[in-house]
Amino acid sequence: MSNLDTYTSAFVDAFRVDANQVAALAYQSIEQWDSLGHMQLMSDLEERFDIEMDIDDITDFSSFSKGKEILGKYGVTFDA
Amino acid sequence: MHNEPGGSSFDIKGILKAQCNRSPMLFIDRVCECVPGQSARSEKNFTYNEWFFPTHYEDDPNVPGFVLVESLTQSFLMAFLSLPEHFGSRTSFLNIKDATFRRRVVPGDRLVIDSQIASFKRGIARGTSIGRVDGELAVSAEVTIGLPKILEQYKPKT
Repeated sequence: MSNLDTYTSAFVDAFRVDANQVAALAYQSIEQWDSLGHMQLMSDLEERFDIEMDIDDITDFSSFSKGKEILGKYGVTFDA
Repeated sequence: MHNEPGGSSFDIKGILKAQCNRSPMLFIDRVCECVPGQSARSEKNFTYNEWFFPTHYEDDPNVPGFVLVESLTQSFLMAFLSLPEHFGSRTSFLNIKDATFRRRVVPGDRLVIDSQIASFKRGIARGTSIGRVDGELAVSAEVTIGLPKILEQYKPKT
């Protein structure tokens, strides 16, 4: 499974949305991505990628695309 | 140490200090062993005086499933609300998984609950609680509980 697949799966599992919807997601763009949903997503991503994010990165993680940028800081790349 | 933040056991007075649940929604009587941040063993004695028995059911009184899940959860809460920094904090349910009911619990039963934290960080505690009566498995569940005052600090900037 590629990093992109793993990343996408985390959103699908956390928010119960289809994989083809996740690219457009942002914080509070759907009711499932509220503050509690956000923390579940963060925990899940940390577990899947075996990383531990700083508080600033967690509060900056405001969308699917921004999240990819942030994970890059932890060595998680999304190259094709 | 007894009933104090960081304590290793709690009676009803200590439980009332450590968590916000109150009668008729308080479903543990005693925490007999506690390792703050790791585990708790709690007890709940069910007598026919409980408010739900006369209606659940009149001819066959037994503890409703939601009460058993709440008992499991309140024991789990004590495993981290016993930490000095979270003592007395408000909590909220985030998830319940695999709630399994194996044995009816009836008036006169003592439910002994073993709660174990699998992970606890950034205000989210995940783990399991298992309730037994006379050593026999009665109910179990995986629970995830949040501490809103901590979660608030991690909200994305909008």
